[in-house]
Amino acid sequence: MQTLPKGGSFLFETTAPRNIFTPEDFDDEHKLIAETVTHFLAEYVFSRMEEIDAKKEGLMRELLVEAGKLGLLGADIPEQYDGTETDEICTTIIAEKVGATGSFAIAHGGHTGIGNLPIVYFGNEAQKAAYLPAIVTADKISAYALTEPGSGSDALSATSKATLSTDGKHYILNGSKTFISNAGIADIFIVYAKIDGDKFSAFIVDGHSEGLTTGAEEHKMGLKGSSTRSVFFDNVNVPVENLLYEAGKGHVVAFNILNIGRHKIAANAVGAAKLALDESARYANERKQFKVSIARFGLIKEKLAEMAIRTFAAESAVYRTGGLLNDMMHSLDRSGPDGGRITAKGIEEYALECSMEKVFASEAEAFVVDEGVQIHGGYGYIAEYPIERLYRDARVRRIFEGTNEINRNLISTTLIRRAAKRALPLMDAVSSVRSRLTTGIPVRKDAGDLVQATKDAFLFTLGIATDTFGDELLKQQEILGRLADMALLAYAMESAWCRAQKAVMNGQSGAKHKENMANAFIYTTVEKVILAAKEALANLAAGDELVKMQANVAMIFQYTPVDIIALRREIAGEISEAGKYIA
Amino acid sequence: MKLLVCIKQVPDMESKFKIDADGVWYDRSDLAWRMNEYDEFAVEQAVQVKEATGADLTVLCIGPEQVKETMKKALAMGCDRGVHIADDQSHRRDPYQIASLIAAFAGDKGFDLIFTGMQSQDRGSGQVGVMAAELLGLPAVTTIVGFALAGDKITVKRELEGGVKATVEATLPALVTCQLGLNTPRYPTLPNIMKAKKKELLAVAAADLSPADALLQTVKLTFPEKKGGGVFLEGDVGEVADRLIRILKEKTSVLA
Repeated sequence: MQTLPKGGSFLFETTAPRNIFTPEDFDDEHKLIAETVTHFLAEYVFSRMEEIDAKKEGLMRELLVEAGKLGLLGADIPEQYDGTETDEICTTIIAEKVGATGSFAIAHGGHTGIGNLPIVYFGNEAQKAAYLPAIVTADKISAYALTEPGSGSDALSATSKATLSTDGKHYILNGSKTFISNAGIADIFIVYAKIDGDKFSAFIVDGHSEGLTTGAEEHKMGLKGSSTRSVFFDNVNVPVENLLYEAGKGHVVAFNILNIGRHKIAANAVGAAKLALDESARYANERKQFKVSIARFGLIKEKLAEMAIRTFAAESAVYRTGGLLNDMMHSLDRSGPDGGRITAKGIEEYALECSMEKVFASEAEAFVVDEGVQIHGGYGYIAEYPIERLYRDARVRRIFEGTNEINRNLISTTLIRRAAKRALPLMDAVSSVRSRLTTGIPVRKDAGDLVQATKDAFLFTLGIATDTFGDELLKQQEILGRLADMALLAYAMESAWCRAQKAVMNGQSGAKHKENMANAFIYTTVEKVILAAKEALANLAAGDELVKMQANVAMIFQYTPVDIIALRREIAGEISEAGKYIA
Repeated sequence: MKLLVCIKQVPDMESKFKIDADGVWYDRSDLAWRMNEYDEFAVEQAVQVKEATGADLTVLCIGPEQVKETMKKALAMGCDRGVHIADDQSHRRDPYQIASLIAAFAGDKGFDLIFTGMQSQDRGSGQVGVMAAELLGLPAVTTIVGFALAGDKITVKRELEGGVKATVEATLPALVTCQLGLNTPRYPTLPNIMKAKKKELLAVAAADLSPADALLQTVKLTFPEKKGGGVFLEGDVGEVADRLIRILKEKTSVLA
C-alpha cells in the first residue's frame, strides 16, 4: 500500500495519476448507492420542490424519515448504533447527489453532517447510544448551533454561557445563536457555549428543553425550504452528562467537524453545478432562435463548455479529497472507544484540502449557475425554471462553513505554520525553485507541465512573501489570499489533470473528453495564477528587484497557448449531444 | 422452498446505440448498464415470496464479468446468493442457447419456482423463460401482472391483448415471466447494499454447462430507415388551413 501523502504535500511532490481517487474508480457498491440516492431524490424530493420551498408543515421531517428508511442518514454512523458506516466515497456520493436539491441538502447535511458528527466523533458511549440510533431514523432531527449574532467567522468569541448548577447536576445555558439550519424542526442541538465564561465547550441540548425557544423563520435569498432561525437559551438546564468531549475543548470539536463539513459542501456544490449544467444543456438544445437551437451558437457553446470544464475540475478535486479522507480513515485503528476522536484527528491532516475544494467548488458552482441563467435568457429570470432556484441556492455556499475569505486565510496560514514547524518541507521546495530559476526552467510543453509551473509560482511567491514580511506575513490578507488562490488552483488543476491521465492510461471511454476538459481548464486557469503572482509580487517589491521577479514569473510560465476556442467547441459538442454533463 | 430468479444486464435504453463491427449486434463499448426492467419485477416478486415464506432465493445471470454489478443489485434487493454463468459471448447467443444454460444449471437443483422477466429490453425475444421451462419440463405462465402463492399452488394474472386479463393456476414447480404492473421494485437500501457485498457469488463457466447449438442466427442488424419527418405549418390560421388543404390534395389521396 502506498503511504498516505501529507496534507498540502501535493504543492512540492509529484502526484501519480494512479494514486488519486476518481469517479471512474467507483466500485459496484458506490454505483448502487448512487442509483438508490438518485431514485429517492427523484421520487420524493424533486417531485415536491415547490412544497418544500414553501416550507410545508411536516414535509421536511417526512422526507428525512423516508431517507432514513433507505439508510441515507446513517452512512457515517457505526453499525453498533444502527448506522451503515460506509466509506468516505459513499458519503461523498450522497452529498453530491443531495446537493442538487438545495433546501433538502441543507436539512440532510445539518442532520447527518454537522449535527451528527460531533456525537459520532466526540461523543462517549452513552451519548452515542442515546442519540445516534434516533438520528439514523430521523426519529430525532439534529441541528448545529455555533454562530451567534456577534460571532460568525470569529466563532471562539461566542458569548453564550454555561454555568454549573449548585447541585452539580446541570449546566445552565444562557445566550443566543443565529442562522441555525433545522432550528424549526430540530429535537437535538449541538450547542457551543463557554463554561464560566471562558471554557469554550460543546453540549448536546434537547430541543424541547424548558427555556429553549426559536425565533421566526428567516426570509432567505435561497434555500427557502430549509428552516433557519435564531435559537435562544434562557436558563436552559443541560444535564452534565450532555457535555460533549471535554470542558474547554469545544474548539477541537467545532473545527474538526468543519473539515468534513467543507468536504460535503464542496460535494453539494458539484451536484448542484451538474444539475444547472444539465438544465442549461437541455434548454440550449430545445430553445430555437433564428431557426436553430441556441446550442449551436459559438458563445453559447463557450458557456456550456466552460460550465462543464469547471464542474469537471471541481468534481475531480472533490473525489480526490474523498479518496484521501477514505485512505486516511482506513489507515487508522478506529475500533476502540476513542475511534471517533482518532478519526477526527486523522481528518485534520487534510484540513487544507477540504478548505481548497470548498472554495474552488463553491466558486465553480457560482460560475455555472450564473452562466446557466444567462443561457436561459429571460426565462432564466423566471421562477418556473429550476435554474432560477439553483442560482439563489448557490449563493450561500461561498459564505457558510467558513466564508471563502476565512478559508483562504486558513489555507495560507496553515501552510505557513506547517512549514515553520518543519511538518512540511515547503521552504526546501522554495529553495529548489530558486535554484532552478538560476539554472533556467525549460519551456512548458503540456498541461501537466503547467500544473508544475503553478506550484513553482506558488513556492516562488511564498518565498518572497516570507522574506519580505517574516512572521508579519500572517497579517497580510491580500497576499495570503493570492497564495491560497495559487495553491487551490494548483490542487484543482492537478486533480483534473491526473483524472484525465488516469482515464487515458486505463483506456477508458470518454478519456479524450476528459483530457480536453483538463487541458482547457489548465490553459485558461494558468492565466489567473500568473495574475495572482504578479499582483502579489508588485506589492512585495519595487524597482529593479520587481523587474527581476517578474522576469522569474515569465520564466516559470514559458508556454505556447492552445486553441482554447476549438477545445471548448469540442467539449460543448459532447455536452450538447448528451444533453447533460458528462465526463 | 427454493426459488430462482434469472436476470439479464442490458444497456441503459437512453444510450446512443451503434451497430458493432460484425453488423449483427450493437457496439457494447461506451454504454451504461443496468438490470433489465422486466427482471426487476421478477426479482421483486421473488423477494416478496422469500419474505413471506422464508424460501431460499438464488439469482442467476449470464454474461461477462461486468454483470456482477447488476447481480449485486439483486442481492441487495434481497436474493440470498448469486450464480454467475461467466460467458463473454452471451450477447451472441440465441434465446435457445440461453435457455439451455439456465436449464443445465437449474436441472438438478430442485427449484420450486423460477422467475424471469417477460423479455429483455435489448433482444426482446420473449422466448428464454418459456424455453427454459420446456427444457426443465415445467409449466410456464408468461407476462404475469398479478401473483399469489398458496401452498403448492400459484394463482397468477396474465395480461392479454386489449387489456383483457386471464387468471391462471398452476401447481409447483413452475416458471413465470414477469410484466410491467406486477409490482413496484424496491430500490436497495444502503445497509442492504453493504450486506450484499458479503453474500455468496458463485461462478460457473458457460462452457462447463455445455450450451446447446443455436437454432437462430442473427443475419444483420440495422437501424430503421429514416422516414420523412413531420411538417410544421405555422402562421395565420386561415393561411395554414389553405396550405394544409393544398398539401392534402397534392400529396395524399385524402381529398381525391
